[in-house]
Amino acid sequence: MKKRIFKVTDMSCTNCAMKLESLEDVLDGVKQINASYHKLEMIVEYDESRLTDEQIIAAAKKKGYTAILVE
Amino acid sequence: MSSKERKSSIDPVVIVTLGLVLLAIAFVLIALRPNVPTINADSGTWSQLVVAFITGITTGGLSCLAVQGGLLASSLAHQVELDYVEHAGLNKKARQKTSVHTNSAFPIFLFLTAKIIAYTLLGALLGWLGSYLTLSPVTRAILVIAIGIFMIGNALRMFNAHPVFRYFSVEPPKFITRYIRRTAKGTDTFTPIFLGALTIFIPCGITQAMMATALGAGSIVMGAALMFAFTLGTSPVFFLVAYLTTELGAHLEKFFMRFVAIVVLILGFYTLNGGLNLLGSPFSFQNLTRNVFPSTNEPTIAADVTQSSLATDELVLNVENHGYSPSTLKAPAGKDLKLNLVTKGTYSCALTFIIPDLNFYQMLPPFGTVQVDIPAQQKGSTLFFTCSMGMYTGEIVFE
Repeated sequence: MKKRIFKVTDMSCTNCAMKLESLEDVLDGVKQINASYHKLEMIVEYDESRLTDEQIIAAAKKKGYTAILVE
Repeated sequence: MSSKERKSSIDPVVIVTLGLVLLAIAFVLIALRPNVPTINADSGTWSQLVVAFITGITTGGLSCLAVQGGLLASSLAHQVELDYVEHAGLNKKARQKTSVHTNSAFPIFLFLTAKIIAYTLLGALLGWLGSYLTLSPVTRAILVIAIGIFMIGNALRMFNAHPVFRYFSVEPPKFITRYIRRTAKGTDTFTPIFLGALTIFIPCGITQAMMATALGAGSIVMGAALMFAFTLGTSPVFFLVAYLTTELGAHLEKFFMRFVAIVVLILGFYTLNGGLNLLGSPFSFQNLTRNVFPSTNEPTIAADVTQSSLATDELVLNVENHGYSPSTLKAPAGKDLKLNLVTKGTYSCALTFIIPDLNFYQMLPPFGTVQVDIPAQQKGSTLFFTCSMGMYTGEIVFE
């Protein structure tokens, strides 16, 4: 399992965090997503053999957010 | 939110219809009982519930809206913000075809449902506990001030004034968001539910009167039923005012987000000001401006308190539906005084009379005179008084 932190600066409310966390339901290989509007970040725990950072970024984009990999 | 997800929420038309039906029921009830009776502990159960409902739909609705409207606006602001963001997320062509449509009916419905449930539970608790849960004026003032600050912070967050204001937005625990997401399909349900339930901590004067009745009922079922009937009565007024306001606002489109933020900001300052009044602070708007624009009202003597019946150390304050008259009382310093509070068909929140500095709080009867002992005060000092909502205020100046 791999843990990555993404900066998502275009979140505008707590519901945005909930929307990003809903990626758990659509992305195969995700164990858990913790998004925070307060910190404007999203922590994704996932199985690197089934998912890539790019796929996460693309899925966030589809939801209307720009995720930038931090670490 | 996708169109598929949107379909999962209740159709606004259904909600509006429900609100109108409730309104119609109220009108029928009022029509059947042209003389709205006062709450009488000896009346039958049904009669008490009808009175509670009528009180809610008449005076209670608007009175509570003045106090709790801010919380409702905060929960709606969140939905409006969400709708606006979604609209902005559409491509240019789609944006031109559609206007921002606020899905405000659903959060209002959630807010009011949570409010009804919370008050019903509170009624049950009050019926059981008696008067143990009555909040002191100071506790209520601190609570109102905290809510005012929360609203102002939220408005500034919407203005993107500073990153720190993001913390004024309630971020619910993850286990709750997961549960909500899976049950409500991403609809933001937590905020209106939370804020609706929070209204039990900021009851308006009329609500407090009803809470007192629930206390007197002395039974869990009757306490719950009374508060349920009353809160249900306030709901159509809340619903219609809030829904029409947001729907009209939706046409502003471009400036709507700012518009909502400004409204929340104004309501935040209004709430904060109410809290300052409850604390007896000289820095509330009314207490600051009273010195700039002194009242021209001459002290009036109520019809049922004659001049000859008054001693020199007695003051008279008329407690009216729209406030206290006169708003400034002059009194001699250095001697104990008696303040006669005169009500004559008063049913507004002015009935809940508070002198914060004396920690004095009393619910007045709609008719009659209540005498309050005022201990000797220093020359040049001022005692502020207010209603329980911090809306109607006045002062006693000691000379």
